[in-house]
Amino acid sequence: MNNLETLKNKLKEIIVRDLKLIDVTPEEIDDNAPLFGDGLGLDSLDAVELVVIIQKNFGVQIIDMEEGRKAFESIETLAKFILERQEENS
Amino acid sequence: MDTNKEKTTTNYKNLKIKRKRKTIKQRLHALGHWIFYVTMKFFGHKGAYILLWPVVGSYVIFSKRIHKITQIYLKKRFPNKRCYWLDTFKLVHSFSQVLVDRAWLGLNPKAKFEGKLEGLKTLKKLIAKGKGLILLTAHVGIWQVAFSNLPDLNVPVNVLMHYEEENAAKHYFDLRNQPCPFHIIRNDGFMGGLIEASAALSKGEIVTIMADRYVHGPYARVKFLGYETRVPIGAYMLAAITATPVVVLLTAKTGKTNYLVKIWDVFYPICKNRSKKEQEMQKYAQKFIDALEEYLKIYPYQWYNFYDFWKQ
Repeated sequence: MNNLETLKNKLKEIIVRDLKLIDVTPEEIDDNAPLFGDGLGLDSLDAVELVVIIQKNFGVQIIDMEEGRKAFESIETLAKFILERQEENS
Repeated sequence: MDTNKEKTTTNYKNLKIKRKRKTIKQRLHALGHWIFYVTMKFFGHKGAYILLWPVVGSYVIFSKRIHKITQIYLKKRFPNKRCYWLDTFKLVHSFSQVLVDRAWLGLNPKAKFEGKLEGLKTLKKLIAKGKGLILLTAHVGIWQVAFSNLPDLNVPVNVLMHYEEENAAKHYFDLRNQPCPFHIIRNDGFMGGLIEASAALSKGEIVTIMADRYVHGPYARVKFLGYETRVPIGAYMLAAITATPVVVLLTAKTGKTNYLVKIWDVFYPICKNRSKKEQEMQKYAQKFIDALEEYLKIYPYQWYNFYDFWKQ
C-alpha cells in the first residue's frame, strides 16, 4: 500500500475517532465524498477541529483559506495536500 | 379574463406606489444624512448633538414602530414601570449619539475621543502567553470607536463580522484616511471564517467576535433579563478546540467624547463531549449573558439590538 493510501486510511480513522462520529466507520468513508454538508456532513466547527488535528498529527498548518478550501473537499484532496506539504517541509 | 386583467393592473399600480414610497423614503434618509453632515461641518459635534433632540423627539412622538421595537427590551429591563416614553427617548437618543460620533470622527480627522481601558494588565498577561485570545463583545456602547483605539497590544486584532458591518467599518476608516486597525474576517467566508480565526489564534493573535446576535448554527438557550433566548455558541467551541481564553470586553460611552472599555469576565471553555456541545457550552454562553446583564444595570440605554432579541 503506497503512502497516499496509508495516509487516507489513517485520516479516516483519526476523523472518526477524534471528531467522535458515531454513525460511520472509517471503512464506510468514501475517498471522494464531500467532507462538509452532504457526504460526511461535517460542519464549520468540525473544520476547526480538523485543522488542529492535522497540525497535531501531521505537522501541517492550514493558513491560506484558498488552499484550505481545496484541501477540505474530500479525504483524497486532504491526503494529497498533507503529503505535498510534508514534502515541502522536509 | 377581464377580471384577471383588472387584477394585474391593480397589482402593477400597487407595486408602483410601493416603489415610489420606497424611493421617497430613501430620499428622505439621504436628506436627513445630508442635513446632519452640513450641521457637523458648520456647527461641529455639539451642533449635531443639539439637532438630535428635535429629531429623536419627533421619532418618539410620531413613530409607533419605535415604541414597539424598544419596549421589547425596556419592559424586561424596567419591569415595574408603566410608561416607557422617556426611556424610549433615552435609548434612541443614546444610539443616535453613537451614530453622530462615528460620523464626526469619520469627517474630522483631528477629532479625538478619550478612552479608558479597565483590565489592560489582564489583557496583556493573556496576550503574553502567546496562545491568542478571543474577545467577546456585543452590540452595545461605542465598540467601533473603542476597538479602533485600543492601546497598542503588540498583536494583530482580527474581527469576525458579517459583510454589511465590514463595509461600515471600512468606510469609517476610509473617511479618516486611515488603514483599518483590525483585520476583518468575514463570517460568510469559507467555513464561516472559523478556520481563518483559528489560524489567527494559533499565531497568538486576538480574534474579536460579537456574541449576542444569533443568526444560524449551533446555539444555547440562556436566561437574559428573566426570559429565555438563544445565543450562538461558535465562539466558545472555537475557544475550547483551540484552548484559547475568552475575554468578555464591553464598551460604554461615558461622556460626550469619553468612553470606557472594560473586561467583565475571563474564562476557559472546555468541551468534553462534542455530541453534547450545546449543553456543554450553555454555561459559557450564560456567563457572557450574565456579564451583559451586569453591564446593562449600569448602562441600560446603550443596548443597540433593535429587534425582538428573545425570538432570535
